[in-house]
Amino acid sequence: MSDTNFEPKIIGFFCNWCTYAGADLAGVSRLQYPPNIRVIRVMCSGTVSPHHVLRAFQKGADGVLIGGCHIGDCHYLRGNFMTIKRMRFLQDLLKFTGCEPGRLHLEWISAAEGPKFAETVRNFTEKIIKLGPSRLKLAARAA
Amino acid sequence: MNKLREKVRKLLKEGKVAGYVGYMLKDSHPLPHFFTKERLEEVDQAIVAPGDARYPLDKLLQQVASRYPEEIFAIQVRGCDERGLNELYKWGQLDPEKVVLVGVACPQDQADYCECPGPWASVIDSGEKCQPVAKSKRVARIDALGEEEAFKEWLGYFQKCIKCYGCRDVCPMCFCKECSLEHPDLMSTGLVPPDTIFQLVRAIHMAGRCIDCGLCEENCPADIPLRVLYKKGNDLVKDLFGYEIGSLESGPSPWKFLGDESTLETKPM
Ligand code: FES
Repeated sequence: MSDTNFEPKIIGFFCNWCTYAGADLAGVSRLQYPPNIRVIRVMCSGTVSPHHVLRAFQKGADGVLIGGCHIGDCHYLRGNFMTIKRMRFLQDLLKFTGCEPGRLHLEWISAAEGPKFAETVRNFTEKIIKLGPSRLKLAARAA
Repeated sequence: MNKLREKVRKLLKEGKVAGYVGYMLKDSHPLPHFFTKERLEEVDQAIVAPGDARYPLDKLLQQVASRYPEEIFAIQVRGCDERGLNELYKWGQLDPEKVVLVGVACPQDQADYCECPGPWASVIDSGEKCQPVAKSKRVARIDALGEEEAFKEWLGYFQKCIKCYGCRDVCPMCFCKECSLEHPDLMSTGLVPPDTIFQLVRAIHMAGRCIDCGLCEENCPADIPLRVLYKKGNDLVKDLFGYEIGSLESGPSPWKFLGDESTLETKPM
């Protein structure tokens, strides 16, 4: 699908202590990135449940980006150990059911990595635009 | 069968257990039954239910045990039932000290039908060990599909769902008091068919917990191949975290603790 007018909706779940601050840094550094991302601030990436991700897809998200502290830097020490377990599992389950696992991405971005933040959002948005509207969304609309 | 009855009779007679959760023929239907010392003669009719008449005995035991937490109960277990008990111990739903196993080995046709990797209990009071089935052909078939094809197939199944919650209600591992499938913040309510993610949410809850008894699938009036979905979930948990479902040796469930170190890497974009 190469619908040039397609403006994807991307939900970002960002950890308050790292990726959210990284987004701030990207902002004050005036780095450009596409405006398709809607950010939800969480206190730790480990608080993001697979429910939230699936709910986002059901409600019409074309992509879900999760941002957490690097392994070893989580402010709750090991919260992000659960994040990676959950998301790796969920990606594989989405693959098995044909639900486009590439629409879910997890990236560790620290508060100092403003450029990495902007680049991740840029690349992810581009990828989602290439993928087109999500299958789950189209199914939900058709139902 | 005699060996099984003998064991049950002895347990009840000697007061080693307060009751036995097993099966009995009632009006020629094999049904779950609670055997006690007071009605010892019923033990003569205790049976191993045939393959097509299986019930979530683990679930019944949880109900009895929560009413009488001090008592010890015996229960008939197939391989799957025992895996279920082991998981339930880990999740704090049953006390292993309060359970006595009356074990059954499934016949080959049952194991083949279930694609069961462990079709016998650790104690065998009836039946003989047969060949386990290591790999599920049903899972392999879906694995081999292209993504789009797989989605079409699953979507077709998911849209048949009439949201009866039969899969959850029969499941011996579903013990939560509140269920995300009915939570208005997590799922649209009052819709049939339900949200497309309905079965995925359940699959997530079953991953690493499903003991592959297959009762959900047998119970499903819409014939959704739920078992295939949960089998895959378990395969993934095994591949990713090395966790063996229902085994007491493999430690706590990976969803229950954070871990000491994380060796998993994020997937490239
Ligand atoms: S505090 Fe940032 S991932 Fe846990």
